[in-house]
Amino acid sequence: MGICWCKEKHEESESYFPQSSNDNIDNAIQSVTPYSSAEYYMENTEKGCPDSSIVDKLVLETLGIIGTLVDNEQEPPPSMLRLHNIADNEEGWIQVVKSMVQVIPMLDPLGPSVITLLLDDCPLPSRESVLQVTSMFNLSAQSALVDRPNAPKQRNICVVLGCIAEKLAGPSSLGILTDSTLDYLITNLDMDTDPHVILFSLIALEKFAQTSENKATIIRRLQNEICCPISKLEQWINEEHFVKRQVGFCAQWALDNLFIMTNRKFSYLTVNNSHLNAMLNTSDVSEYLKISPNGLEARCDAYSFESVRCTAQADSGVWYYEVCIITPGVMQIGWATKESNFLNHDGYGIGDDKYSLAYDGCRRLIWYNAKSEPQQLPRWQPGDTLGCLLDIDNQQIIFAVNGKEIPPCTHVFSMARSGFFAAASFMSFQQCHFNFGTEPFKFPPNVEYSKFNDCGVLEPESKKVMPRHIYLDQLRQQSVREDSCTLCYDKKASVRLIPCEHEGFCTSCVGQLTECPMCRSAIHLVVDDNT
Amino acid sequence: MAALPRRIIKETQRLLQEPVPGISAVPDDSNARYFHVIVTGPEDSPFEGGLFKLELFLPEDYPMSAPKVRFITKIYHPNIDRLGRICLDILKDKWSPALQIRTVLLSIQALLSAPNPDDPLANDVAELWKVNEAEAIRNAKEWTRRYAMDN
Repeated sequence: MGICWCKEKHEESESYFPQSSNDNIDNAIQSVTPYSSAEYYMENTEKGCPDSSIVDKLVLETLGIIGTLVDNEQEPPPSMLRLHNIADNEEGWIQVVKSMVQVIPMLDPLGPSVITLLLDDCPLPSRESVLQVTSMFNLSAQSALVDRPNAPKQRNICVVLGCIAEKLAGPSSLGILTDSTLDYLITNLDMDTDPHVILFSLIALEKFAQTSENKATIIRRLQNEICCPISKLEQWINEEHFVKRQVGFCAQWALDNLFIMTNRKFSYLTVNNSHLNAMLNTSDVSEYLKISPNGLEARCDAYSFESVRCTAQADSGVWYYEVCIITPGVMQIGWATKESNFLNHDGYGIGDDKYSLAYDGCRRLIWYNAKSEPQQLPRWQPGDTLGCLLDIDNQQIIFAVNGKEIPPCTHVFSMARSGFFAAASFMSFQQCHFNFGTEPFKFPPNVEYSKFNDCGVLEPESKKVMPRHIYLDQLRQQSVREDSCTLCYDKKASVRLIPCEHEGFCTSCVGQLTECPMCRSAIHLVVDDNT
Repeated sequence: MAALPRRIIKETQRLLQEPVPGISAVPDDSNARYFHVIVTGPEDSPFEGGLFKLELFLPEDYPMSAPKVRFITKIYHPNIDRLGRICLDILKDKWSPALQIRTVLLSIQALLSAPNPDDPLANDVAELWKVNEAEAIRNAKEWTRRYAMDN
């Protein structure tokens, strides 16, 4: 997707400075920084911390530049590397956090994602710095009320709290979630707060709940309120106001998955999915994507690039579905075969391999095989409709935003002629709603086409979108047979390796190996002892 | 969520039933491929007394490829860099699908007992470890006290 710098990619490099410089990026940087390029790159360890105005500028530069980066293998921009160096000492880390909270504007669609990306790639903060940052914010029920007019700052504080809670799950997360921090977050859930602030307060609570003691504390606190504030927010689930709608989605997800209230029924037990014949596939999705109980809406609040395919497969003919864009950030929505892999932690999703093709209306790019082509449509906005037409007979895919088409794409048909699924990938804090034909289309194409909901078939069991904790409990109770392969524990162990004579593996595992997993000697022959 | 491979179910059950001394590895509530790990600093090492938090993630093709592991607690060690990434052969080219989460974590614990400055990931730390081991060990103890002890 182009803006994920995962651990893997730095793995072999010893420094965090750009190995090669990119002229365009250099120019962009020099125009706004007082540092000469040489100093900019060479300064190995930051001594102390630069002036806050410099850090503010670097944060804004990173925000500005990050949406334009499209190559997964590309080095991070110099402004981001410089921020990493500044954050290497404790004082610098605190300044970087301060600057992000001060300067990231509310309406930049990449704002919260950039905070997450920067904090995730920065050197690890110590417990003291983290505590110092939270005490610097001076959070309390009182501050939540008094600072309400400064919504962008409050929103950014909540994003930062969520990131820290996730990054430092465990004792440090416990240390930050003091009574006053919790007061602050719960007070923010009041329906009169700016919905952006409510949204990220809710997400912060969710991230704090990754530490089980915190989860228990939050649940106790919610139960003590006269009326659970999250339950109230759940009513916004179908709001026309798209930020409130996100709040409703997250509230419902939290109540189903994390903050389980005794008097509330799980949504998957109350929702009526009988009319569904096609939906997002809960068995074909990366780990952190949230899917709504009605199976048609998805959202990502993790820092990874989460993906999902739908349940119905298209092998011939013409197919169409629509997506309602709920958040304006990076999503890659389109078509994929089962061969397309969800490498969420490496930043690869739909459109990032040879078996999928996607449109990203935030950066206005068509994606195929991790390469992008710019398009001429305006940036998508909440409420826009993305139309996705797959014409297998004529081997073309046509995307349209609010009925305005972009030129047909044909790339993917060199690799696949059938076996297509509607599919999408989501950057952090992105959400959209799928229409596979259960509702009338807003911009139906002028050709004959089929709808997945008319042609798909779903068993009643597979229409259930179960909360993960229930699903995982069921999985963990599965028993494993004693004579199974010691590598996959799935198939029966049946083969012996020659010459080393090690055994206890199945044919499909051994088929993926060139040397013995026990002694590393080369495999010359595989003997099946069952035949 | 993609169906969870039996291999992961089996390892998880065993980790919970027969924990490894000095190591705790707990699967995340909502993601069965993500483990919250705490390793205690080995006795007679500069890390003694510290509790080091790590994250361990089992990639899609596990066990054919290695788990991804990194330190979340800051640590002064020549084979661990400032982002917590670990230089350990079994996590890279010496991975074998017969290795497990438990063996990986034991190897990491062993790496704390026996730092290897000749195969560094954190160059400045490795350099000091080679030229002035006593000072390096002092630093490691100081970092353990500052970052890995609760009080």
